[in-house]
Amino acid sequence: MKRILLAALLLASCSKSGTPDLRISDAWARETVAGQTATAAYMTIDNRGAGDDRLVSVEATAPAKAMLHVSESSGGISRMREMGGGLVLPAGTAVQLKPGGSHVMITGLEAPLQTGEVMKLHLRFEKSGPREVAVSVGAGGR
Amino acid sequence: MQRVRIVLWAAVAIALAAFAFLMLRPVQETPTRQQPLAISSIGGPFTLTGSDGKPFSSASLAGKPYAIFFGFTHCPDVCPTTLARMVRLRQLLGAGDRPFEILFVSVDPERDGSTEVGKYAELFKSPVTGLTGSPAQIEQVKRQYGIFSRKVPDSSGGYSVDHTSTVLLFDRKGDFSGTIASEEKDNAALAKLKRITA
Repeated sequence: MKRILLAALLLASCSKSGTPDLRISDAWARETVAGQTATAAYMTIDNRGAGDDRLVSVEATAPAKAMLHVSESSGGISRMREMGGGLVLPAGTAVQLKPGGSHVMITGLEAPLQTGEVMKLHLRFEKSGPREVAVSVGAGGR
Repeated sequence: MQRVRIVLWAAVAIALAAFAFLMLRPVQETPTRQQPLAISSIGGPFTLTGSDGKPFSSASLAGKPYAIFFGFTHCPDVCPTTLARMVRLRQLLGAGDRPFEILFVSVDPERDGSTEVGKYAELFKSPVTGLTGSPAQIEQVKRQYGIFSRKVPDSSGGYSVDHTSTVLLFDRKGDFSGTIASEEKDNAALAKLKRITA
């Protein structure tokens, strides 16, 4: 059993060095109200390639700022932290940024984001380089 | 004699190592280590400030079941997700327009004034009562409801707040009935909401 675990661990830790092929879909951000300067954006990043990749950073249009964050909950207490080291995107896996989990935290919004608006985010990947993503603003009911 | 001395020094070294280990090991954070609350005593009367800047007394909840959630308006993920879910569950429950009240209490009164909590509550396009108060009032209500919160500095010079994100449910008589956790399935949550609105 231990040997199997070890083998699995080795296999899991061995990263795939082929070419990643990223498809980004369902990008949306929660609308805001006047006075609210922060929101979160979510999306699915599907890596259909043969190599792993990593989302290194996210930028919003100034003066707004974007950061990769993760919300965690344990013992009924939720915590939000900056994601150190970026978000790993294993080959053949669709990684979801979703409410209550990994998300892009956007701060410094000067005007409310209204449903129907589209916001641009600039994502930078370790291997796939920069990508611009159109994020549609929507209501919070998802 | 030489031998005894070596043994004694070895004992001292072991004691020092043990001491160092005890001193240096990371202290386990136990945010949940609060005064244990007896179930029956959760809740109770309070006065806070409503979004209109006027005092909001829990007396106005008499006869109404309610769900109460503690958060902060700079919280972009967990808080709106939880409140939007409560609104969605309330719609799913049917049973009239407003079978129960949804209360949002700020655990960040330093940044959240009545205007902020009021605006934030409007996000959900369904009645949500946003409440804040003086830091002392908030501390008191947190104690009554067994809520933990702690400010955590972030890299941009601001701070985030770790906080209890469990929703607490109270029935028409104002008695504590149960909780809804974020990871709980809708069916289980709806069953609990049916109980308080019965």
